[in-house]
Amino acid sequence: MAITAKTISDNELFFGHKACAGCGGSLAVRHALKVFGENTVCALPAGCMSAVGFVFPQLCFANNAMITPFAATASVLSGIRAGLKVQGLDPAEYPVVGFAGDGGTADIGIQALSGAIDRNDDIIYVCYDNEAYMNTGVQKSSLTPFGAKTTTTPSGKNVHGCLTQKKNMFEIVAAHGISYAATASVGYLPDFLKKLEKAANVRGTRYLHVLAPCPTGWGYPVDETADIAKEVVDCGLWYLAEYENGQFRLTRNPAEFTSVEHYLRRQARFRGVDEADVAAIVAGRDAKWERMRAEWGN
Amino acid sequence: MIEVLWHGRGGQGAFTAARLLGAAAALAPGTHALAFPSFGPERRGAPMRAFTKLSDAPVGDRSAINQADFVVYLDQTLFAQGWERELKPGGRALVNTTHSFDDPRILSLDASGLSLEVLGRDIPNTVFLGALAVLCEGLQPDQAKEAVRQYMAPKLHDANLRIIDRVVAQLVQGEAAAPATGAAPAEVGKASNCEAGTPAAGLEALDQPQPPANRRIPTLRTPPADHAVYARNTCWDAGHLVTKNAGWRTQCPVIDPAACTGCLKCYMDCPDGTIYKVKAATSVTPTGGGEAAGVEKSTPNAGTPIAIDYDFCKGCGMCVRACRFGALSMIPEGGQA
Amino acid sequence: MLRFLSGDEALAEGVRLAKPQVISAYPITPQTVVVERLSEMVEAGTLDAEYLHVESEHSALSAAMGASATGVRTFTATSSQGLLYMAEVLTYAAGGRFPIVMMNANRSTALPWNIYGDQRDSLALLDHGWIQAYVENAQEALDMALMAYAIAENPQVSTPFMVNLDGFALTHTYESVDIPTPEQADEFLPPFETANKFDFAHPVNMGYTAGPEHNTYYKYWAHQDMLDAASVITQVEARFAQVMGRTYPGMVEAYRCEDATRVVVTLGSAAGLVRSVVDALRAQGEAIGLLKLRYMRPFPGAQIAAALAGVHAVAVLEKDISFGAEGTVATNVNSALHQAGVRVPTYNFVGGLGGADISPDQVKDMFAALENPAGLPLVTFLGVPEEGRC
Repeated sequence: MAITAKTISDNELFFGHKACAGCGGSLAVRHALKVFGENTVCALPAGCMSAVGFVFPQLCFANNAMITPFAATASVLSGIRAGLKVQGLDPAEYPVVGFAGDGGTADIGIQALSGAIDRNDDIIYVCYDNEAYMNTGVQKSSLTPFGAKTTTTPSGKNVHGCLTQKKNMFEIVAAHGISYAATASVGYLPDFLKKLEKAANVRGTRYLHVLAPCPTGWGYPVDETADIAKEVVDCGLWYLAEYENGQFRLTRNPAEFTSVEHYLRRQARFRGVDEADVAAIVAGRDAKWERMRAEWGN
Repeated sequence: MIEVLWHGRGGQGAFTAARLLGAAAALAPGTHALAFPSFGPERRGAPMRAFTKLSDAPVGDRSAINQADFVVYLDQTLFAQGWERELKPGGRALVNTTHSFDDPRILSLDASGLSLEVLGRDIPNTVFLGALAVLCEGLQPDQAKEAVRQYMAPKLHDANLRIIDRVVAQLVQGEAAAPATGAAPAEVGKASNCEAGTPAAGLEALDQPQPPANRRIPTLRTPPADHAVYARNTCWDAGHLVTKNAGWRTQCPVIDPAACTGCLKCYMDCPDGTIYKVKAATSVTPTGGGEAAGVEKSTPNAGTPIAIDYDFCKGCGMCVRACRFGALSMIPEGGQA
Repeated sequence: MLRFLSGDEALAEGVRLAKPQVISAYPITPQTVVVERLSEMVEAGTLDAEYLHVESEHSALSAAMGASATGVRTFTATSSQGLLYMAEVLTYAAGGRFPIVMMNANRSTALPWNIYGDQRDSLALLDHGWIQAYVENAQEALDMALMAYAIAENPQVSTPFMVNLDGFALTHTYESVDIPTPEQADEFLPPFETANKFDFAHPVNMGYTAGPEHNTYYKYWAHQDMLDAASVITQVEARFAQVMGRTYPGMVEAYRCEDATRVVVTLGSAAGLVRSVVDALRAQGEAIGLLKLRYMRPFPGAQIAAALAGVHAVAVLEKDISFGAEGTVATNVNSALHQAGVRVPTYNFVGGLGGADISPDQVKDMFAALENPAGLPLVTFLGVPEEGRC
């Protein structure tokens, strides 16, 4: 039975933390832990969620949790799982879950993640993607989108912010032949919950990539996080999809997109993009959707 | 040595002002200055501190200021009991408020009012830069203005220079910032609006509605004291909290039970998990002044399926935005509704 | 049971007897034989462990740490660049007080690239919070593997343990090794128990941040507990002797130092060489000795000072140089002597870099030089004539 607002666990396993007001990442972690349950062992590398959640003696996880070296989310998860396995603890009862940001996943942590998927270790890896190194003050990561201003991709007369495209982590992960992978957004919680629940019930390595807007780094009012996270899906710059049994599937295939420009203009980080940039972003979106719709069969 | 301790919230520009004050002082030959923020894990909205030290000799001590000549409160909700302990003898507290106080050590400035008027935004930091340019011995207002020109983005110059002129004129002419109300500091600093789900100031706190039994959640506990126990490894009780987050709020959400449909969208969207489902089959009856205050019997949360944990709510307002039924609204934190 | 084994193989036998429950490792010469043997043991069922084939040394130690946090016994092994690649994880494991045991095959560090032995890898990491032991031969390698767990897992110590074997000179050199029986090993080493682990009845948060107001206490106790590990080492060696019938002399071995006027201080396999030279020259009536350092952390400063008090001149022979200073072992020895008020001149001899042989003649020359040390430079690179004197 699908988890809904009525049936979701009353537990608040991530609580009392020092994340910014309106933090999308903490919303993602909160719901993931509600679904995975109080026997979850989670591991978090350097990043926002560990920096705001684990400051002794303010320890904000009510479940077993630990910090990992920045590059080592997946390998620490593998070690935890191996340790539980030799003690006979069932992976379905005691999920081992990582929460890493976009930099911790797509940049410094991608090697360890690849290793864990290759071994098909029975772990769940959640990437909360806020599209830059927010913990260190908004620097570009490989998941920062084109045109976004960060402190290391300043937007000025000469360069309009980030010049690279968002790395395609979902398909990189899927290319390993992973047991289960999905994208999600904190703006579409029912979809996210469904995928969390599915991930909990698959064995082997599972990867969830959840877009988690950051009011501080993106430059929008703190109460708009859920809105923005919804709009990025509605305008087609993010997509909701799954990969299982070797097949890709869109879990949301909008008949038409809302305005990309509207999405960009409500965020200070895109203030430097001009009309040509917007057109390029729209063209990139269209090409991606054309390919996804053609190849993923729906 | 003149030491200035700045209290603000992440994002209010306390450190910018601390830095500009240091830069202003350092414009004078032979004057040395240090400016630095407190370095903590807290994020935007959280109370933070910044420090400025001004001296006619090089400043070697880079440690935090515990007692200052001037203690600045960019946000009046941070001005609370014990404020005197941070003042050196003869020191003064500068508070962003419309209240005034029967205490010569406290200088009230309606900095938010002035910045809203001039900047169109509530960024009160340069009001205090201007004030300190008057109050700090050896510092001239022109130095503060030059620091703004040298260290702020050009588009911010005009408005901030005007702010400095205004506050300098006000202080030099000895104008009172606001009519005296005689409020005590503790009252100003108290977050009196947001008790136990009451929708407006003036109501007595109701019994906080109970969350579901047996839910697992981090809880407030006594900080561990014995380092020979806690510092032997990094392994401690899960969910061990020692501080609340209530101090982050400048606004707080309140529930209108008459409008709430129980859809739980606010509960789902709360990034802090501070909205909880009220324990089922419990009818909360008002205690205290509900009726006396003229509120009808269906008091807040009586029968409402949700309640808010104001100890940990940061006041982001996502719940208000999530509500399609107008059952949630934000009211100002502190004594001025 | 006597077997003719390499140092790597002997070490692997020791690990088998210690029964680690999770092994995670990444291959690097000259450590590879260790992980190959352990893989074979797991395949054959003679070692009941979960073996993780990780994709790097960084992950090897990270996974060991994750496993250790669940309360199980763990092992990893590495060498040289691999050790340096996992260096940041060393501080995590030490600060988290996870009693992981790691074998390090001491090997040169690039550039120039070189796979042969020296000790510049582990000695560069003395400050990372691990117990560091250096063994002299294959028997000591096997025995140290067992003792390492007993020491590291002692609740008062609870600190990770690095067993260092000289690359090739030890790892790939075969000799007779007495392998204890599983029963003996079980008697000596009980199963691992710790409170520093995840707990599903009373969940914990681990490996967190501690700000300026708390941080010093963690470092203070890591230091204090490492110092106190010295007494645990003594206890463990006594128990080892009781069960296995083989004795070890503590954190240092003072060999024929009693009336010696000249002593060479060294560590690892070079101790065996110096020992044989001492025997040869003692036979000719020379009053010389060897001081073998078995541990670099905790550092046996008091034992060193006691052993060298009354000596006329000391040579510190090591496979390390801290460029622009001196060998790190020499720095540590000098500090210990100074602190104890032992006024004996010391001379640093740096040799065996990148796998270079140290010959008996070089050691004899060293003892000869100590006889009239006036004019001897503070640091001498063995094998570099004239210019080698710095």
